[in-house]
Parts: sequence; C-alpha cells; structure tokens
Amino acid sequence: MASFILDERDQRFILNELLEVGKLCEHPTYADFSEDMFNMILEEAQKFATEEIFPTLTDSDKEGCSLEDGQVHVPKSFHRCYKLYCEGGWNAMSHPPEVGGQGLPIVISTAARDWFMHNFAFTSYPGLTEGAAHLIEVFGTEEQKKKYLPKMMTGEWGGTMALTEPNAGSDVGNLSTKAIRQPDGTFKLQGTKIFITAGDHDLVENIIHPVLARIEGDPPGTKGISLFIVPKYIVNDDGTLGRRNDYEIAKIEEKMGIHGSATCLINFGDNNECYAELLGEEKQGMKIMFQMMNEARIGVGMQGLTSASIAYMHALQYAKERLQGSSIEHFKDPTAPRTPIINHPDVRRMLLWMKSYVEAMRALMYFAAYCVDKERITNAEVEREKWHGFLEVLTPICKAFCTDIGFRVCETAIQVYGGYGYCSDYPMEQFLRDEKIASIYEGTNGIQALDLVGRKLGLNKGAYFMGLIGEMNSVVDRYKDNPHLKDLAHDVQAGINTLADVSMFFATSAKSGKFLIPISNAYPFLMMMGNVVSAWLLLWEAGIATEKLDTICSGKGIDPSDHAALSGLVKENKDAAFYSGKLASARYFIKNVLPEVDATAKAIKSEDLTVMEIAEESFAV
Amino acid sequence: MNTVVCMKQVPDTETLIKINPEGTGIVTEGIKWVMCPYDEYAVEEALQQKEKFKAGKVTIVSLGPDRAIEAIRTGLAMGADTAVHINDAAFYEKADPYATAAALAAAVKDLEYDAIFCGKQAIDDDSGQVPAILGELLGLPVVTLVVKLEVSEDKTKAVATREVEGGHAVVEVSLPAIFSAQKGLNEPRYASLPGIMKAKKKPVDVKTVSDLGVSVEPMTAIKEMSLPPARQAGKILEGEDAVEKAKALAKALHEEAKLI
Ligand SMILES: Cc1cc2nc3c(=O)[nH]c(=O)nc-3n(C[C@H](O)[C@H](O)[C@H](O)COP(=O)(O)OP(=O)(O)OC[C@H]3O[C@@H](n4cnc5c(N)ncnc54)[C@H](O)[C@@H]3O)c2cc1C
Ligand SMILES: Cc1cc2nc3c(=O)[nH]c(=O)nc-3n(C[C@H](O)[C@H](O)[C@H](O)COP(=O)(O)OP(=O)(O)OC[C@H]3O[C@@H](n4cnc5c(N)ncnc54)[C@H](O)[C@@H]3O)c2cc1C
Repeated sequence: MASFILDERDQRFILNELLEVGKLCEHPTYADFSEDMFNMILEEAQKFATEEIFPTLTDSDKEGCSLEDGQVHVPKSFHRCYKLYCEGGWNAMSHPPEVGGQGLPIVISTAARDWFMHNFAFTSYPGLTEGAAHLIEVFGTEEQKKKYLPKMMTGEWGGTMALTEPNAGSDVGNLSTKAIRQPDGTFKLQGTKIFITAGDHDLVENIIHPVLARIEGDPPGTKGISLFIVPKYIVNDDGTLGRRNDYEIAKIEEKMGIHGSATCLINFGDNNECYAELLGEEKQGMKIMFQMMNEARIGVGMQGLTSASIAYMHALQYAKERLQGSSIEHFKDPTAPRTPIINHPDVRRMLLWMKSYVEAMRALMYFAAYCVDKERITNAEVEREKWHGFLEVLTPICKAFCTDIGFRVCETAIQVYGGYGYCSDYPMEQFLRDEKIASIYEGTNGIQALDLVGRKLGLNKGAYFMGLIGEMNSVVDRYKDNPHLKDLAHDVQAGINTLADVSMFFATSAKSGKFLIPISNAYPFLMMMGNVVSAWLLLWEAGIATEKLDTICSGKGIDPSDHAALSGLVKENKDAAFYSGKLASARYFIKNVLPEVDATAKAIKSEDLTVMEIAEESFAV
Repeated sequence: MNTVVCMKQVPDTETLIKINPEGTGIVTEGIKWVMCPYDEYAVEEALQQKEKFKAGKVTIVSLGPDRAIEAIRTGLAMGADTAVHINDAAFYEKADPYATAAALAAAVKDLEYDAIFCGKQAIDDDSGQVPAILGELLGLPVVTLVVKLEVSEDKTKAVATREVEGGHAVVEVSLPAIFSAQKGLNEPRYASLPGIMKAKKKPVDVKTVSDLGVSVEPMTAIKEMSLPPARQAGKILEGEDAVEKAKALAKALHEEAKLI
C-alpha cells in the first residue's frame, strides 16, 4: 500500500549511507543485530504505520476523547491499534532486553518512530509509558522495578509524566503539590496537576504516574522537589491490583489538535488517601527529570519532523496531480492545456523549501539519536565525551528548531493545496493543528532557546559547542576541493564562522554586563544555529550523493557534468534521481535559505534592545 | 500439526510495472518485493493450526532468486519454524506453473506434514495453477479458495468452506491435503520485533533444483507480454436538454459502443 508518510529511500540513505548504522552491530551491545535486520524492522514499521496507524488519524481527530464517570475513553480505533502495537513489541523498542525491551539502537527506534509519530495522538499513549518506565528502570528500587516494569513493558499498564500545575508551567520549581510523610515510609499526595497527557484512558488496566511534588517542610524552588510514583490502582505485594487510588480526573481539555490524546486535569488526594512512593532520592526530583530531558526533547523534536514529512509528501503528491493554469511557456494562451501545479515556479519553490528542511531535520534527528548510541557504546572517555557534547548542544535545536520549522512546513504544505488545504476533507489542516503543541510542551521553544544560550553554549567551558563547530568544519574540509561542491562548502564555512562569531559576541556582551543581548536574542540565535546545522548536514548528504551519482554515471558511461545525459539518466534510474535530488536540496538550501543567517547576525550585532525598552503601556493602547 | 506453506515473493501491488525490452517479462530492477498477499493467509492459517494443536512445525517452501530470502524471513518472523529456499536463478527464469509445482513437490516430498497451504494465486502472474498441479504430483486432494478450515482432533480429516459463485460450499477432505487460501480465511498477523530477531536464527535450507534430484522442463513459455492499453479519454455528450442528451447516449451506445 502506498503511503505518503515519508520517503523510505531517504530514511535508508541517512541510516545506511550517511551514518552507516550497520557498523553499530560490531559492538557487543548490538551484536545480535545486522543491517539486514534493521531494514526488515523498518519494512515492518512501514507496513504497520501504513495499514494500522495512519488510518486512525482522521477518525480519532473527529471523535476525540471523552470523560464519563471519572473514566477517560480514547477514540475507538485506538484500541485495535494499541493492541497490535504492543503485540509487535514497538512499545518497548529501546529498553534493554533485561527488563523486557527489544534492545534496539536508539537510532533504529527513532527511524521506526519516524513512521509512527505523524499520529502523535496515538503514539502519545505508548510513548508516555516508555518514558515513565525508563524513569523507574533508572531510578527505581529493585522492588519498584519488579512491581511496575514488567506490565509497563508489555503495555498492559500505562504511564505519564505529571509536572505541570496552574502556577507551575515553564517554572516547574514553583509547584505546590505537597507530599505528606507517612510512618511506613510512603507518602500521601495533595495537589492539582494540569495538562497531563494520557493522564487517564481505557487502553490499559492500570496507570503509573510519576508525579513531581514537594515534601512538607522542604525548601521552595527546584531544590525542594521530589519525584513520586502514584499508581491508579495500588499494586498489592502479590502483584494483584488493590484499591483505586485517591485522585480524580476533573476534566479533559478541549484542544486545537491531537484530539485523540487525552489531556487531563488531575486532583490528587481530595480524600486524603492518595498513596505515593518516593522514586529516587528525596529532593532529587528535578535532577532526575533533567537526566531524562534529552531523550524526551528529542522525542518531541520527532513530532516536528514527522508532521513536516507527512505534510510534504502529501503536498508533493497533490502538486503532481492538481491541474491548474497553463505552463509558464504558454501563459498567454488560454487554450493551452492545463498543467499540474508542480510545473509552476512558485509551487516548485515551496516544494523544494519543504524537501530540504525535511531532509535536514531527518538527518539531524537521526544524528542526535546516533549520538545517544555512540555515547552508550563508546568506552574511551574522550570519545564518549565528544558524542555526549554533540547531544547536549543539539538537543535544544532538535526540540525547538524542528518543531517550529515543522509547523512552517505544514503551513506551506497547506498553501500548495490551495483552498482544499484549508478544508477538513483533506488531512492538511489537521497536520498543522496536531503539530502546534510540539513547540509548547516539554519546555516551550523560548525556554529551549534560553537553555541553548544560557547553558549549552558555555557547558564544559564552551568545549561542547566548539566540538560541534569542529565536526561541521571537518565536513566542509572534506568537500571544499570537490568540483561539484566547493562553492557550497565555501558558503557553509562562512555560515559556521558567522555562528561561531555570534556566539563569541554573546560571550563578550555577557562579560561586559550586557546580559540582555544574549537573552533577548536567544531565539533568533537558536533558529540561526538550526539553519547552519541544516546546511552542514545537507552538505554532508550531498557529498555522499555526489560520490554515488558519479559511480552510477561511470557505470553507464555518462559524464556527470553533461546535463542532458544526466537528466536522461535521472528520468529512468531511481537511484540517480534520488541522489540528484539530494544535490538539489543542498544547493537550494545553501544558496537560498542559509543567507538568512547573515541577516540574523547583523540584527544581533546591532545591539538593538527595543524589545526591552518599549514600555508595556506602548504595546497597545 | 505439521504444515508446509508454499510461498512466493512478488512485486508490491503498488509497483509501476514496466515491460522488459524483449517483451517477455517485466523489468525487475528497482521493484519493491513482498510476500504474496494470498500466501500471507496461508502462513497465518498454518500458524493458527499449529497454535490450536499446541504442537507441530511450520515449514515455508519458496522458489525464487536470492531476494526471495526477504519474504522467507518475513514468514519466519511471523512465526514459521524453518524454510526451504529453492534458489536456482536459471530455473526460476523460465519456470512455468508446472515446473514450479514440480520443484515444490520435490522439496515437499521429504517433509512431514498433515497439510500444505498455498495462496489461491500469485498476484504477479495470476496463473492460479500451482496448488492443483502440486496435488496431482503428490497424489493429494486439493481444496481451493478456502475461507474457513476446521481440522479434526485426530488430524485425519478437515472440513473446509470454499468460496463459490454467489455463496459457499462446505467440503470434507481426508488429510494430508492441499488448501489454497482465499481472502477472508483469517487476518494475517504482523511480524513482531521479537519475531524478526528470532527469524535470523531459524534454519533456511537452500537448495538448487538439481539438489532436489529433479529435472523438469517447463511446458509453456511466455512469448509476449504487454501492458493494457491506456484508457481513452471520456466523451461528453452534447444536447440542449436531458431528452436530447439521452437520445445522443442511446445513439452512441448503439452505433459506437455497439452495446445495444
Ligand atoms: C496538550 C498538552 C499536553 C501536555 N502534556 C503534559 C504532560 O504530559 N505533563 C506535564 O507535566 N505537562 C504537560 N503539558 C504542559 C506543558 O508542558 C506546559 O503547557 C508548558 O510547560 C508551558 O507552560 P504554561 O502552559 O504554563 O505556559 P507559561 O509557562 O505560562 O508560558 C507562556 C509563555 O511565556 C513564556 N515564558 C514563560 N516563562 C519564561 C521565561 N522565564 N523566559 C522566557 N519566556 C518565558 C513561554 O515560553 C510561553 O511562550 C501539556 C500541555 C499541553 C497543552
Ligand atoms: C474558506 C474559503 C472561502 C472561499 N471563499 C470564496 C468566495 O467567496 N468566492 C469565490 O469565488 N471563491 C472562494 N474561495 C476559493 C478561493 O479563492 C480559492 O480556493 C483560491 O483562489 C485558490 O484556488 P484553488 O483552491 O483552486 O487552488 P489552486 O488554484 O489549485 O492552487 C493550488 C496551489 O497552486 C498555486 N498555483 C496555481 N496556479 C499557479 C500559477 N499559475 N503560478 C504559480 N502558482 C500557482 C497556488 O498558489 C496554490 O499554492 C474560498 C476558498 C476557501 C477555502
């Protein structure tokens, strides 16, 4: 069955040709796998996504969730999908086999998710369970692991992540849910959490909530926060389910998108009987959360990528079929045949803009996941630190850049559909609505920008950031003398230099007391860095594509610089078409989008602080 | 219950088919290959029977070139136990339904089985002859277009529901027998991640046709293959009103289409 979820050739290219993930199997941790097996897993992921997950996208959006007598019901179609998803083992892809997971490299589970996550309302249920299980796996006692993990791994039980409160959104440290110490070492919880994804639902028989709260008497702010396990049904020692815990689902939110995902308001302990167990050590709640942050943020970044990908694939298909207007050569002739809109220059511009961003984001997300794997399997300290550093600096880019660009790609894809894109008979407007949340939760994009500029740039005395700059430079070096790529390599080098230069400018501003310059420019800087990172990855992709294209050409006795011969080849050879498309993405992006970096740098260096100077009264009268 | 499943790897149904320059087959480069959808029902049925009897072995037998191993692995990942891959490019190139069935029969001959499952037809060449010829060569009864199957406790006979024009026929057959699967027989499972990982370690016995000790000559050969003609543009009938248009339609149906 054809699916317009993603370009599988692009996926294989990034995994097998760019990152050469097969080599991960040389390490004992992944020795049970092989490149063939990875491919087979992704074939199956594609099949499952196309036949089961995608078909529930529209109906779950229309049906939404409901709350009846304190119990949340998910869209009907999710039940079958969830059952099959768990039977397939997709819900515990990357957990180690010791705890009942499949032990896949993160880069492969990320690639599988690339197929699934366009329907984020659905994947939020198993996704949140995975996150909660991971917390217990890393920080739980042996007893807690035995009690909770097995059923979470099979998907019989669900999980959540309960941080947010009405007065503690971006500022989690301000939370007021309190934990009251009990003589037996357990706690009783009291307080209200809002916006809790998958906070209740009928896909599972029990739900395990990791909840952030403050133990009575502990200090205010992030330092006084602890993490607790709050089960929906308290688990008896023999593993059976005991009493329903004392918390109530007071409402589910009406939202712009992800209607199939239940966003719950939870009141804990109205009757003073909300049982809670400490997870990890007291007052370490925020620290624990931070350790999970990279993974969770990369997960949300995937939502940006997958929405962009499905929107682009749909727009491309539509542009090939929709006849409107005549081609540019005949624009004055009203009797000329109508042409598919893919022939209009402005539509081609939109398509290529989307294509290059989607491919850059895919490379970025897979690269970040690959860093997690490399960090995990590398023994040499220095080498491991290198991968860890890439991951630290790239995480806010994965999260904020990919979710904001993802939204803009969805918007552009609607534009390609014209009036039909705006109407609900087509899925385009839903892609956009579903994607929007990704820039808000898991730390808003504004908070991500502060994390990048305020923390990540200076982390390890700036060595992590400089390590990434070095990595980008080494790709430029590889291609700077290549006749097909040297002008692109030159431009990317200039972009990298500008980025490094602005980061230095931030450092000097801060040193001379002008903190507001980096802080108020954090977001423009993040987006600028995202564009430089994209250019680096697209150049790298183009480099490999050039080599492969040359090989195909020489096999067929074609001179790759002979345009006519090459375009003939591209018409009949799929691989040649693909590689040539890679070159087009890189060239378009580097020549047409990357120059935006210079404008941002110029604006930042102007030291203009109008945003801080304008009086609140002057925003509107 | 021990079963054998005859399985073929075919181009994905979405493939844009091109005819090769000789006009004798399709261009096989750049195609995505999958397990034939009807064979998926066959594999599923074999697995369900094994699960019902809580014992036995499912063996996949497939004739095809190197790439066929991918579909074989899919079957193993679904849960089949072992496989025989008759990998003989020269033979495969010219094999017709008779030659295919003869090779399969030779491979199946030494296996232990209570039933053989096939798809009702391969969706690439659509000949639909293999199950019947296989039955002839092995001297086994054949029940085609099966949509429901019940095997007796002692595995000596089975009651199969077949699809017939406009309805169903229920037939009883003694085992071992060959069953060809029709859509509706069951819902094929997806290969699971643990299944995929186990599949790698399951044994696949690779054989050439001469290993099987048979020499068969195909009885038919493809002389020419062509794509269906491109669809003609539709015609809009002219006329002042509905009556005029109806007259024009009747005329066109009579004179041009010669339907009335
Ligand atoms: C559908 C949905 C699902 C959710 N799922 C979960 C979940 O499962 N678990 C959970 O715990 N939470 C969840 N949330 C909550 C989500 O994480 C918060 O909405 C988010 O952290 C932002 O908090 P807020 O809404 O209170 O916005 P606010 O914190 O009020 O922010 C409003 C605006 O101010 C900006 N801002 C705030 N503080 C600063 C600052 N210091 N510097 C610069 N800018 C700032 C923000 O960037 C934002 O643009 C979910 C929310 C939604 C809508
Ligand atoms: C909510 C809504 C209200 C509306 N109200 C009215 C109304 O009151 N009255 C009315 O008459 N119409 C109305 N419309 C129709 C609206 O004006 C059309 O949808 C619009 O003109 C675009 O046409 P289209 O949807 O057929 O898209 P298409 O023309 O198919 O365009 C699709 C894409 O191709 C691009 N494209 C097409 N041709 C070219 C070209 N030559 N060069 C470059 N790019 C090209 C477009 O820019 C667009 O991105 C409405 C539509 C909507 C959705």
